[in-house]
Amino acid sequence: MENHELIDLSDLNMSDAELFAPYDNSAVNAEKITAPRYSYWKSVFRVFFRKKINIVILLLLALVIAFTYIYPLFSNYDVNENIRDSAAKHLSPDGAIEHFGFQLKWILGTGALGQSTFDAMWNGARISVSLAFICAAINMTIGVIAGAVWGFSKKVDIIMTEVNNIVGNVPYILVIAVMVMVFTGSFWTLVFAMTVTGWIGIAYFIRTQVVIIRDREYNLASRCLGTSTFRIAIKNILPFMTSVIVTLLATELPSYISYEVFMSYIGIGISEMSLGRLIQGAVPSIGVPGWGFEFWSPTAVAGIITVVLYVVGQNLGDASDPRTHM
Amino acid sequence: MTKYLLKRLLHGLFSVVMVVAIVMLLIYSLMNRDLIFAKDPQYTKKQGNQLTTYKYERWEVYGYLDYVPYGDYLLQLKNDGEIDEETRSKAASIAAKEEKDSDVAKEYVAKFKNEYESKGYTIVRLGYDSRTKQKQTMFAYKDTPVWERLGKYFLNLFEVDNIHYVENTTGEALENTGITFTLFDPLYNTDGENKVFSPAIMGNGTQHKYLLYFDGEFPYIHQNLLNINLGVSYSVNKGIDIYHTLTDRQDPNRNVTVTFPTGLTEESPRDLHTATYVKGTRDSTQINEARFTDDYTNVNYYKENFSKTGFSFVIGIISVVLAYLLGVPLGILMARKKDKLVDKIGTVYVIFIIAVPSLAYIFLFRELGGMMGLPKSFLLEQATWTMYILPIISLALPSVANLMKWVRRYMIDQQNSDYVKFARSGGLSESEIFKKHILKNAIIPIIHGIPGSVLGALVGAIITESIYLVPGAGYLLTNAINQYDNGVIVGLTLFYALLSILSLILGDILMSLVDPRISFTEKAR
Repeated sequence: MENHELIDLSDLNMSDAELFAPYDNSAVNAEKITAPRYSYWKSVFRVFFRKKINIVILLLLALVIAFTYIYPLFSNYDVNENIRDSAAKHLSPDGAIEHFGFQLKWILGTGALGQSTFDAMWNGARISVSLAFICAAINMTIGVIAGAVWGFSKKVDIIMTEVNNIVGNVPYILVIAVMVMVFTGSFWTLVFAMTVTGWIGIAYFIRTQVVIIRDREYNLASRCLGTSTFRIAIKNILPFMTSVIVTLLATELPSYISYEVFMSYIGIGISEMSLGRLIQGAVPSIGVPGWGFEFWSPTAVAGIITVVLYVVGQNLGDASDPRTHM
Repeated sequence: MTKYLLKRLLHGLFSVVMVVAIVMLLIYSLMNRDLIFAKDPQYTKKQGNQLTTYKYERWEVYGYLDYVPYGDYLLQLKNDGEIDEETRSKAASIAAKEEKDSDVAKEYVAKFKNEYESKGYTIVRLGYDSRTKQKQTMFAYKDTPVWERLGKYFLNLFEVDNIHYVENTTGEALENTGITFTLFDPLYNTDGENKVFSPAIMGNGTQHKYLLYFDGEFPYIHQNLLNINLGVSYSVNKGIDIYHTLTDRQDPNRNVTVTFPTGLTEESPRDLHTATYVKGTRDSTQINEARFTDDYTNVNYYKENFSKTGFSFVIGIISVVLAYLLGVPLGILMARKKDKLVDKIGTVYVIFIIAVPSLAYIFLFRELGGMMGLPKSFLLEQATWTMYILPIISLALPSVANLMKWVRRYMIDQQNSDYVKFARSGGLSESEIFKKHILKNAIIPIIHGIPGSVLGALVGAIITESIYLVPGAGYLLTNAINQYDNGVIVGLTLFYALLSILSLILGDILMSLVDPRISFTEKAR
């Protein structure tokens, strides 16, 4: 208290009715406990935005997402745009700007058919990122639900552990490759191939977490009070696992992009011009002076997207752990 | 402990069988079987009836179906003495159209149809092809179910060479079949005077001439008695056994001074220890006649370069050693300097490796190395030791990051445990706590992974090898997938699954040896 001067109420020229209000001393109000309102997600974002670096990365993510999803709507990318213009092929950025005049789409030069590398790159990014999001959504949903059941039921545990031992030993690349061979490589084939066994690994991870938390004292207490298993899973365990799931998602999302890039590189990817296909198509131009942008731009974008997604996910995962909310 | 491990091993073998079953089911029942010809140069040259029969012949070789040409059926009848040569040739000449068959042909065609249709075969009769002017032909085929293939695959997985091999495959027995043990290998004792002590077991009537022998190449003692049969490669290494595709040394040939059984001495790449029996080959060419005294003429060549698994293993094992030498100390350093600059730089590196697609950073390393003048791809013709550097670095750097991440994690977890607080309150210095207490506990989970990374080196690194064109096992898999070489894919899957099961069990054993608290005996548990 810095201001020690006392206020004389009579100086305020107010009546007693204005200065004082009678307090309703009812039984209901007497039972109320006042504590600061706690909202889980609000706290998560408060902690998340406390780190200034997260704002920068989030802006970067917004930029990347805007370019992958909004930019292709306006760019009207067409591979055969300049196919008849023999002077437009394999241009360096300087050459392309000189040839076409300055436009955003020419800042990375042109490819083998005279197409804009910049547009091709974001068009490919749209396919690869969509693939990653869809695969992650399917795998995480099935994985988390299956993992919860797996963790709670002893019977399911016996069967699923065996299944995991077997399927875990089939090389993931082989599963994807065989699926692509069987059903030809379309976008949805790759989604199917990546999700048909992909969820088992996630489910196993979740199962382990559930087994660890399942028998903690607060859950034992909850069970003694007659809470149903479903309610324990949803109300007691799921909130506990939010940070684990978000962290897992952060590693899963980039991994799908990596897989797609790699599968396309070895020639068993999808037929659409994804990032992987662009990289594969540009491999011969790595060694040619001036053509390097055709290879390095999609590679760099794949790297940037995955790093940004990973870092945002990791930091969100950290923030969603209630122990950091102090 | 042995009981437990035996149980684990049997369990693991069951998993391996199931894995192979799943892959076989996927490949042989779901995949279009015409795809296996996609990269077959002979297939593209053929047309009309020849193309059809070629396809069925290859499918039989690859185990898809049982294929019986009408001609073979008649030959079999003749060999059994049911018909004479005249009837056979009359019956064999079927007409362009079924109605126009001669009476003899009609009779035997009907017989053929009856016999095979009752066994569930499908009869295919191809008429005269006027476009390519190819003769009419007829055959029967029956698809082999996948479960039958699986059974055959595992039954024939191990082949023991025996003295009845020649008799069983050619129908004629050799004279003096049997197995002989000699203390003086004839290959090293050519002049007959100075006897060189070199024990060997040799066979006559067996597939391999030498069943056990010593030579100057690692591992110095070799055997041909028990052979692993993983099937035959379709396209990557057409017609060659997959086990040999993986383990045989690779081009170019290496000449050594060889003295042949006839006494002829010359500079030749032929490795006479690998001789196998092929009927009638000695008399077929003058080259063989001048060199060999029997039909064991099919030999492998001495090669300059490692085998596919050899290349993968050399690169893999060096990078594993490098990764542990760098990764573990760096992880410890990061844990000790938690939240300091070293830790932050390390974390950025770990994030880079985890998040960036491996293809991207391997190409980055490749280009950076190329700028420093290192060879960017493997060229067997101009082999230098420098071409190993970049693949090894590209393989080691990601595993360094992985080790850093886990060592740091485990050490930091241990730092907060009660025994560390107790040690600290007891007045131990920080470095003492780290070296004597935390490290010992934190390193145990890391040790579990060592057998996995060593055995994993045999399998090879798929991405690294395909970028640097290393002729290793990992590159073989990508090639096999690209060329629809189903035999190699199944063979490699078996190989992968076996190694991963083995490395898990070895990891557990190693962990129980290092950590006395972990025990597999019933009592202790």
